[in-house]
Amino acid sequence: MKTFLKMLMKTAYLTILVLVLLLNHAPTTAQEKPALTPKQILDKVDDLFRSSSSKGLATMTVTTAHWKRSLSLEMWSKGKNKSLVRILAPKKEKGTATLRSGNDIWNYLPKVKRVIKLPSSMMAASWMGSHFTNDDLVKESRMADDYTFQITFRGEREGQEIVEVTCHPKPDAAVVWGKVLVTAQIKDYLPLNVKYFDEDLRLARTMTFSDVAQLGGRRIPSLVSMVPKDKPEESTVISYKKMDFDIDLDNDFFSLRNLQR
Amino acid sequence: MNTLRYGWRNLWRNSRRTCITLAAITLSTAILIASYGLMDGLMRHAVSNATNLVVGEVQVHAPGYRADHSIYKALTEPDLIFQAAKQKNVAAAPRRYGYGLVAVGTKSAGARFWGVDPASERTTFDLAQHLDQGRFLPETPQRGLVLGQKLARSLQAQIGSEIVVVVQAADGSLGNDLYTVMGVLKAAGDSIDRNAALIHATDFVELFVSGERIHEVALNSRGMVPLDKLTELLSIGAPEEEINSWRQLMPEVSDMVNLFDAFIWIFGLIFLLAAGMGVMNTMLMATYERIREFGILKALGATPWRIIRDVAAEAVVLAALGTVLGTILGLAGSYYLQEVGLDLSIFAGTYSVGGVAFDPIWRATISAKMVYIPVVLMLIIGLFASLYPAALAARLDPVKAIHRP
Repeated sequence: MKTFLKMLMKTAYLTILVLVLLLNHAPTTAQEKPALTPKQILDKVDDLFRSSSSKGLATMTVTTAHWKRSLSLEMWSKGKNKSLVRILAPKKEKGTATLRSGNDIWNYLPKVKRVIKLPSSMMAASWMGSHFTNDDLVKESRMADDYTFQITFRGEREGQEIVEVTCHPKPDAAVVWGKVLVTAQIKDYLPLNVKYFDEDLRLARTMTFSDVAQLGGRRIPSLVSMVPKDKPEESTVISYKKMDFDIDLDNDFFSLRNLQR
Repeated sequence: MNTLRYGWRNLWRNSRRTCITLAAITLSTAILIASYGLMDGLMRHAVSNATNLVVGEVQVHAPGYRADHSIYKALTEPDLIFQAAKQKNVAAAPRRYGYGLVAVGTKSAGARFWGVDPASERTTFDLAQHLDQGRFLPETPQRGLVLGQKLARSLQAQIGSEIVVVVQAADGSLGNDLYTVMGVLKAAGDSIDRNAALIHATDFVELFVSGERIHEVALNSRGMVPLDKLTELLSIGAPEEEINSWRQLMPEVSDMVNLFDAFIWIFGLIFLLAAGMGVMNTMLMATYERIREFGILKALGATPWRIIRDVAAEAVVLAALGTVLGTILGLAGSYYLQEVGLDLSIFAGTYSVGGVAFDPIWRATISAKMVYIPVVLMLIIGLFASLYPAALAARLDPVKAIHRP
């Protein structure tokens, strides 16, 4: 009886082993992709929502200690330095638009029917009360240009196969962060999160990507959230509802005239 | 009484020497009084300029407000503060603060908005009169704006310019509106110059959706209520809030005042020493001159104590006369310096030290303290300066003294 059980268990073990090997092996051979270099990983994060041009619909939900509100946004972009965001709701802000052209940010305020240019001193200030700064909006340079980078971790973390790229700013780069940590999944190289550290290398804020969905023909995370380290109960979540890439957009579309439309 | 009369008579036995010493004491006392008055005047001028303009003598904030200037850290019961201030008839001005953007054409800048009550600012502070151009906010809200000097310059804003105002309101929404520049302030310290944008409290509440929130109450009695009384009054009236005196709010001004105080003492000490030397010299000379006389007095049975008394009395009479004359002269000088003042405009126009503006005319103030401290110290110095020659005279051997040439 005892020996029979032992044999049975041995067979079971073997069967499982073979099955595991087979199952594991089959997909890897079929979908084997070359491992991405750290530069490619960074470029992928940068290009997630970028294309030669794009149009999208999103909801931005901002939660702070004192209030919580949602804004519906309609946005367009062309190339890497032209973008336009228009607020669709709520009513008080409806029609308010932000135009970025190069390093300049312009805001159109429908209530007073005026366009104002954001002073450079306000670049680090919050955009529309969110946890994103105006600088986050303007930043056109690519991480791979501003930082030196290397893979600092590859393997399993919290049940996911991930790769972690650590970026340190180049001495002459005009960046505010002391260090940036990018974590991406190995299976599709979609980013999981980006951690921003201040000049004293203390964690300042975490941007998390989730809810991968099919948007505009791409598999991209549809939820991007930003959480400041010093106020973990606060957050800004952007939920992309619709994206269209490589659409026909005139340069004129990103003009001050169109901003006041 | 006889002793003092002898002293008085003895003084005029060598009137030239006495006059010189008297002049030294008189002048020292007068200079001491006048310079004390000038220093005190400068100090009070600095403090009142600093407090009366906009800061006030005491400010009340919610705990922690001064650290991060958060729009959400408002006073819990501002009415309690006004009640406490009213008890002592101290004027108080409520203020609301918020941050945002001001823009004219393509020029824009960050600004700190002050939601003020124009009527209480006018009665409590000098800021409403401290205008370079235009006028202060009217008492009815009219979407008017008064800008700091440098802010107006960087926006190239004129009186009547239309300004776009954009702020992050307290409910998270985007507050924006059009305002008209009504006035531009004169220089009032760097932070006000650079980013102050004053608007009516009612306009502020609408722009910032800030409700009842008041972030600061600034109290100013213009020196009528002592600082410690005022802070005590408030800490009883509003125990929950953070109460700061101008000494904490403007530590650089407070340091300067302390430094001035130290200067006054050092100068006073030097004058006192100089005058004391003069008195001592006169006394020594007078004693040596009268050695034979002291010898005869001793031979006739005068005790050493009697001789010390005579010499000391002479010194006290001299010092008393000198200080009385010095006080008269010093007060006359101070009065002149108070009414007319020293005109420093040939050296500098309106100048500022440590963020405090000074007028080019330096005026003295007159107070009881500036008279009695120099007078009492001068009398003490006169007495002590005479003790050494008095002791010399008292120890004389009468026989040797009489036979001295």
